[in-house]
Amino acid sequence: MAVKIDPDVCGHIANCPVQGLCIKLCEQGAIIEEDGDVKIVPENCDDCDLCIQNCPNQAISKA
Amino acid sequence: MFNIERGGEEHRKLSYKDKNCVGCGICVDVCPTDSLRLGPIVPIARGLIEMDLVSVNQESCVFCGLCSVACPFDALSLSIEGTDVKDIKSYPKWDIESEVHDEDCIYCGRCYAVCPQDSIIFRRNLPNPVDLVRGEMDIDEEQCIYCSFCADMCPAGAILIKNIPTASNDALNNSIEVDLSKCIFCGICKRVCPEDAINQVCSTCMYYDEIEEVEITGETLISESSCVYCSWCSKICPVDAITISKPFEGTLELVENDEKVCKGDSCHACLDVCPCNAVKIEDGKSVTDLNFCNLCGACVTACPQDIRVLSRTSMKLNNVNSESWNEILNTLLIGK
Repeated sequence: MAVKIDPDVCGHIANCPVQGLCIKLCEQGAIIEEDGDVKIVPENCDDCDLCIQNCPNQAISKA
Repeated sequence: MFNIERGGEEHRKLSYKDKNCVGCGICVDVCPTDSLRLGPIVPIARGLIEMDLVSVNQESCVFCGLCSVACPFDALSLSIEGTDVKDIKSYPKWDIESEVHDEDCIYCGRCYAVCPQDSIIFRRNLPNPVDLVRGEMDIDEEQCIYCSFCADMCPAGAILIKNIPTASNDALNNSIEVDLSKCIFCGICKRVCPEDAINQVCSTCMYYDEIEEVEITGETLISESSCVYCSWCSKICPVDAITISKPFEGTLELVENDEKVCKGDSCHACLDVCPCNAVKIEDGKSVTDLNFCNLCGACVTACPQDIRVLSRTSMKLNNVNSESWNEILNTLLIGK
């Protein structure tokens, strides 16, 4: 099912209070950094929802 | 850490010590004015964010002190005119303890090794092994060929060969020394010596009755301010010298359903925030050992699947004289 990121709310690493907390939290490699932005790799997502719960901007939701 | 104060008729001060806080959120749950906020406990526990677990809104806090009396871990304290409310007779008190009984403790240090909060202060004085053995040891340097078999095999590290031959060393200027403050007269050196250069006699058994009784002294203390009452120490103590009474009784269960299941190793948020080292991931699922759980509820908050069900059936907070406080505190007993 994976997750989706609302680009209007996401801090895109540079403006994220924790510089990409979701990337740091996800140990499955389902959220990665690419070209300075956040990218979702749906096939790696295990639906643990840690990113949804902890995103400081509440930009992540179920896809 | 924060300290906020209010002047006026009575000087009131609320202090928060982050190092004692486990992130359980009990203070947040009981605050009547919603002035306390629990931070992102999983990223904090993983070291991804550096901030206090709890923050306060100084504008709305009424300095009632309910948070400080409800915190079982001494992370919050309210003082009135310089006196901590925990020391004021009319205020509620936790009837919990963590105590080492000196008369029973044998100073093995197992509690110290297992404490997940490093709350145990432990030191001991072991006897000098050399005082417990008797014997004689002598190396005949005329016969010694400095092969260093004895030095390499000595389990006590008591034999030293000086000037071991190297390219820059005078190989003819060797010497061998025995440190009698380390030798335990085990006889290995004598057995391995190819030149019979070592004369050694062990008389420990012969003098057994003359050798002083072993007395191990020490000190084992639990720092109550940082203890989280997990009871690892009391469970591991081989001589039952530690008493821990926990703040809550009850259960904590993992209740999965069609939509929400534990993600185990992918997530392990519960394991990361548990102050008690009571959570393990086994076969891809979170398993909590209630023997060590203090029912603080930090894992319940941390679980992104919201499938951890905490049911506290009783709490050891006594002397609650205010009816409104009692009502709020009783909400902690309903499933979180």
